[in-house]
Amino acid sequence: MKRQLIIARERIDETALLLKRRMSDGMGAVVCFLGVVRGTEEDRTISAIEYEAFLRMAEHQFNLLFDEMEKRWPIESVRLVHRIGTVKVNEPSLWVEVVAPHRGEAFAASQWLIDEMKRVVPIWKKALT
Amino acid sequence: MEITIHFYSYFKDLTGCAQTTITVPPGGTMSDLLNHMIRRFPELGAMQNSTLTAVGVEYQGRGYVLQEGDEVSLFPPVQGG
Repeated sequence: MKRQLIIARERIDETALLLKRRMSDGMGAVVCFLGVVRGTEEDRTISAIEYEAFLRMAEHQFNLLFDEMEKRWPIESVRLVHRIGTVKVNEPSLWVEVVAPHRGEAFAASQWLIDEMKRVVPIWKKALT
Repeated sequence: MEITIHFYSYFKDLTGCAQTTITVPPGGTMSDLLNHMIRRFPELGAMQNSTLTAVGVEYQGRGYVLQEGDEVSLFPPVQGG
């Protein structure tokens, strides 16, 4: 399974990411997820979210999740971009792409990956008003 | 033996620092370390049950026996995405 992980301060460039998509003839499903900063947090209006990561551990934990994904589903590739630093409302903080032979495994794997990320990857957020 | 402890997220605000060191006796566990930290930084006490603990880049539980040179990290539940 090919994997690409980017944890960075730069804005997520969806167009550039899409242009770099590579998939073999046997692949029939691409699930792409974008997590976007909402304008409210616990009923308060906010302007942005400040993301902080324990970078070395976050990379390690993401790679453990990718290892587990590879065991569970026939995924050809996974690409994940997570921003750190200040992300304004309406801007994406997370971009995930999973390429698989069929939609069932692509949806299941991407859902599982995001759920597990929220459980184990050491990234935190702080709402800015 | 000396252990370095790193704090992340709002644990840095609760303790007023990003890292500290403590000396623990041989055989000391993560639970012992956590209790020591709560005595030093009482604000951490309210988060005791939900505090996540890691050594290096791996999660370790309360029963983990600390080793010389361990880099321990203490942080609240993660919130990526």
